[in-house]
Amino acid sequence: MTEPPLLELKGITKRFPGVVANDHVDFDLVKGEVHALLGENGAGKSTLMNILYGLYHPDEGEIRLRDDAVRIDSPHAAIDAGIGMVHQHFMLIPVMTVAENIVLAVEPRRGPFLDHATANERVLEISQRFGLAVRPDARIESISVGMQQRVEILKALYRGAEILILDEPTAVLTPQEALELFQIIRSLQAEGKSIIFITHKLGEVLEIADRITVLRRGKTIETVPREGATEEGLARLMVGREVLLRVEKKPAEPGEPLLTVEDLRVHDERGLEAVRGISLEVRAGEIVGIAGVDGNGQTELVEAITGLRHIDAGRVVAAETDITGESARGSLEAGVGHIPEDRHRRGLVLDFTLAENIALKDYCEEPDSKWGWLFPKRLVARATKLLKEFDVRGGGAQTLASSLSGGNQQKVVVAREVSRDPRILVAAQPTRGLDVGAIEFVHRRLVAERDEGRAILLVSFELDEVISLSDRILVMYEGRVVGEYPPSVSEEELGIAMLGGRREAVA
Amino acid sequence: MSTVDETRETTADRLRRLGEPRSVAIAGICLGVLGLFLSLPPITIRNVVVPAAVGVLGAALGLWALTRGQRKLGIWAILASLLAVLGALWLQSESAGELESVFSVGLLAATLRFATPLAFAAMGGIFSERSGVVNIGLEGMILAGAFFGIMVAAETGQWELGIIGAMGAGAALASIHAFLCIHLQADQIISGFAINFLALGLTGYLFRSVYGTGGTPELPERIPDVRLPFIEDITFIGDIFGSMNLMIWLMLFTVFLSWVVLFKTPIGLRIRACGEHPRAADTVGISVFKIRYAAVITSGVLAGLGGAYLSFGFGGTFNENMSAGRGFIALAAVIFGNWRPFGAFGACLLFGFSTALAIRLQGSPLLPSDLASANLLQTLPYILTLVALVGVIGRSRPPAAAGRPYVKQ
Amino acid sequence: MSTGPSPAGPPVPPQDAPPEGSVTGLQTFYDRAGGLLVPILATLLAFLIGGIVVLITEKSISAPFQAYKAIFEGTGLTWFIPGGDQAEAARDLQQTLLITTPLILTGLAVAFAFRCGMFNIGGQGQFWAGLLTAIYFGTHFEGMPPVLHVTLTLVAGILAGAVWGGIAGLLKATTGAHEVISTIMLNWIILWSGKWLLEAPDGFLQGRDPSLPRSDDVLDSAKLPAIWGTLQPLHAGIFIALFALVVYHLLLNRTTLGYEVRAVGFNPDAAAYGGISVKRNYFLALAIAGAFAGLAGAIDMLGWKYRLTSTEFDANLVGFTGIAVALLGRNKAVGILFAALLFGSLIVGTSPRQLDPDVFNPELATNLATMIQALIIAFVGAEFLILYLWRARRRVGFRRPREPEPEGA
Repeated sequence: MTEPPLLELKGITKRFPGVVANDHVDFDLVKGEVHALLGENGAGKSTLMNILYGLYHPDEGEIRLRDDAVRIDSPHAAIDAGIGMVHQHFMLIPVMTVAENIVLAVEPRRGPFLDHATANERVLEISQRFGLAVRPDARIESISVGMQQRVEILKALYRGAEILILDEPTAVLTPQEALELFQIIRSLQAEGKSIIFITHKLGEVLEIADRITVLRRGKTIETVPREGATEEGLARLMVGREVLLRVEKKPAEPGEPLLTVEDLRVHDERGLEAVRGISLEVRAGEIVGIAGVDGNGQTELVEAITGLRHIDAGRVVAAETDITGESARGSLEAGVGHIPEDRHRRGLVLDFTLAENIALKDYCEEPDSKWGWLFPKRLVARATKLLKEFDVRGGGAQTLASSLSGGNQQKVVVAREVSRDPRILVAAQPTRGLDVGAIEFVHRRLVAERDEGRAILLVSFELDEVISLSDRILVMYEGRVVGEYPPSVSEEELGIAMLGGRREAVA
Repeated sequence: MSTVDETRETTADRLRRLGEPRSVAIAGICLGVLGLFLSLPPITIRNVVVPAAVGVLGAALGLWALTRGQRKLGIWAILASLLAVLGALWLQSESAGELESVFSVGLLAATLRFATPLAFAAMGGIFSERSGVVNIGLEGMILAGAFFGIMVAAETGQWELGIIGAMGAGAALASIHAFLCIHLQADQIISGFAINFLALGLTGYLFRSVYGTGGTPELPERIPDVRLPFIEDITFIGDIFGSMNLMIWLMLFTVFLSWVVLFKTPIGLRIRACGEHPRAADTVGISVFKIRYAAVITSGVLAGLGGAYLSFGFGGTFNENMSAGRGFIALAAVIFGNWRPFGAFGACLLFGFSTALAIRLQGSPLLPSDLASANLLQTLPYILTLVALVGVIGRSRPPAAAGRPYVKQ
Repeated sequence: MSTGPSPAGPPVPPQDAPPEGSVTGLQTFYDRAGGLLVPILATLLAFLIGGIVVLITEKSISAPFQAYKAIFEGTGLTWFIPGGDQAEAARDLQQTLLITTPLILTGLAVAFAFRCGMFNIGGQGQFWAGLLTAIYFGTHFEGMPPVLHVTLTLVAGILAGAVWGGIAGLLKATTGAHEVISTIMLNWIILWSGKWLLEAPDGFLQGRDPSLPRSDDVLDSAKLPAIWGTLQPLHAGIFIALFALVVYHLLLNRTTLGYEVRAVGFNPDAAAYGGISVKRNYFLALAIAGAFAGLAGAIDMLGWKYRLTSTEFDANLVGFTGIAVALLGRNKAVGILFAALLFGSLIVGTSPRQLDPDVFNPELATNLATMIQALIIAFVGAEFLILYLWRARRRVGFRRPREPEPEGA
């Protein structure tokens, strides 16, 4: 290394009950570089950066800034040391304005009062300097996710950040928005800022990073320069074995249509129309994937189909039963299975045992119960069998769901839904937050269920997941289906459609 | 670069909104209330046609809005208008003198008096909940303020010290609530309930232990009224504001100050940030714990002031459990006012009015003697609170993080 | 107030931690912490602090010990210890069990709602609903066979409690009105309505002598049979309460209704996803909770009170004590039994009838009992304080020992 590093993390160790999240991790950052921190979910990337930002306290190790050992025990200390962080879940207050969010805790004052005019002025000033256009008086909840991310970056810059940590910044962006972000990163680099870029996406790393450090199971595996790095090589480093980047599957043999949605209209919590006249059809034995950026009505579409949200207009027909306006029970009795997008919020009752969770949809039917009387032993017996079949590890039928790892929790959800033998399976974000092993399991299972003749509707924000699993791809944008594509489509083409760039007649 | 969202509405937008069903329905509700008001003193129109016409118009507006999607508001407008017509019909049959014995300027002055302890507590509730801590312990803090205030005033003979004692007592209980909720992450509702129970037991115990069965001694001085010679002689206004109790003025000032602090100062921005998204506040270096402690203790101080007015501003004695649910009514006012000082103050006036009205209607010839009973009329403020709570839900938006302990990582 | 889910609420900003600290989150914690540690330490600590209050006000080192000794002797628990005055101890124990009976039921009323994620502060009002209804049914239907009359009156009390609880449940289910405020308002409404029914001229429950504010005695055919003792003996109602404990346990753990209630209590979103109607369960859970409390009121009336006097309204806190019972009993049947016994003993031991005024003033003692209840609620609610004190020697910090769990198989 020619230059002395701006920042050095040496031998950082962080233990949580039962896991070592960071095991003597070393990392360094040179001024003006983009250094990617690559690893799968649960590899310890976020933990490491939360330590650097003062949110966690390391059990061992030291942080050196410009060759001096520093103690960063709070975000305040991190900010003082010139470190800024853009969190994966934005740290923005939805009901406040852009300017209020940016100046929070360093507010300009006039006497004892908050000086809104100066705040707006300064925000404009800094946004022009770095070429990040925002409207200071817009409310966060009314601006797009990409715009919110800019506000987060400005928040760090406003506080004089020299080192910027970006935690999975592209997870919520379209490919085009991601390209814009990369331009922003390059211009920040040109201003002399140093950037730590956390991701698990190989393509991005090769595009933007100067150096790449790979973490696996809490340990530093290797730091490599971009030159000479390949996707396959990085994937091997990241996972520790050869990875199949494509899902093996036979061509689909679609049968009769099982799920039909006609001109569906649904509104969201705020009363805005989120689904604006969607029609689609899923046939037996095919996977229809829905691509799109988060917040374009996918959640509401899924909830409407599964009876969890009021339908304003249109029709949903599942296996020849009209389930428009039915409750969740009506939907599941018509044969719709549902892997929900958030297993903690919806998919599982974390304080229930696995047996009780597996009974979540059958508890009121025989053999689980009769005339309102529950038979806990039968619940346990059925669950024990299923847990074995689906290779759920970390607990038995009487274990609380909360004590399982994310991957095993998801297996429980999949086991419950699949074992009910649904004719239609709606899978929303089925691999969110899982590691490669669990992702492969879920993917194989979905393809197997397709081959059993079920109709599968897959919603995912991960483009490669949609492309590799689906037999047909629909793109959703602002509550409408704006295009249908075969799985041979390129990511770029989908990306343009995801921004509403092109409309095609829906088949 | 994509374009920036257009979010701010222009004046033209606002004007356009006046024609929307929602605004029309609200106008219908206002007309209904106005129709009833016209039949009452001081206006007392002795002719059923005018109020009835206003009421019918209000109902028509409500119906129009109802058919255009504003179901809930439309129904409220029709109900309010119906009330106006029926009320007018009934009031016409009563003599004007009897009406004036109930609906007088005194009623408005009494409304302010009854609203005062509520408004103090409600401002406290706003501070606490805006910072993210639900405080159902307001009830107990009012009670503690009432008892310790009058005790200190009686012991020292100075009402000023009594007020400080009341504030201190409220703050002490609030500190316990803050410690339990913030440091120990106790369930905020359970902790608040424990505070109420603790205040009930502690004040009851000390009341009996210090004063025995004789009750609190006669105070040398209560909290004085503020006489304003310029205003005193003006009819109506003078009758209300001419010699109002100091605590009522202090309450009005507190409401205004609460609004300024919460919405016009940096500290208010930080308090609200802690209540909406504490982690976001933490990541920019705000101490969520400190802000929440300060806000909760402030709520105790304010509730204590409400208690002080209750025991030695308004009456002159302390009774066991004299807060009588006022802390909870104040919380309902906070919800009704959408966690905003002036909104909550308006709700407090409404609840204060219902109490004042209930007292004036006791034994009044306006009601059948069965219903004019003091006991039955006592339920009025509680029923009104319940109705208000039911009517407002869905349009009122609590601070997003209220009720959740913040866990620093 | 945002501890309850609001159907039309705004999306909550993302927080990494799952929403814990909720009412039912505590349940899980209790189950894991397993054991008796928290309740027992909380109780000891509450008595210790209560003792300090006595020490300070009585200014004597021995005062707390004498007070607690006198209270303990008044509970009749010495009956289990051979020697001493067995006859007197038996009489005292009968009183303790007499008070324990309704406490078991009001404890269940709170606990059942808890398991559905709601905090039922309305046990007191639901108790009144049952009690007032029981007076009516108990004083009418002369000549009915005793078994039938008792059954009819108990069922009427149960239904009345269910209706009063069900109103709060219905309001929560349909409009999202928070049950804490609505149940408190319902408490006050029924309290004053009850006074009205009793005191108004020609009041519905007014006894034969209109000059006295009290009801007639319930008819002999409606009285529950005595089972132990002669003067104000223990009645058969205790078996009904014990049976209710069994019903509670089976209902929660062995029926689909209980499964639904628990699922909604732990996670309403997941319950809805599983096809469970969250609203229906909110309604049912509060109605069933009210049924338990209503039964308590009816049993008290038919078991030993036999008539209602006006002063009863201000003195009776059975419903509120039920909250302490449920919290201390960790919402489990066996826990509730022992917690009810503890509070029953405390109340009887501090009652003017049992406590020798020369040792400790009973009026103080009653308030001391309230304070101890409040402290127990606070300490059980803040179990981290207890666990902290327990582990203090290991120097574990205040912070909750919960860290984010990295995901992955």
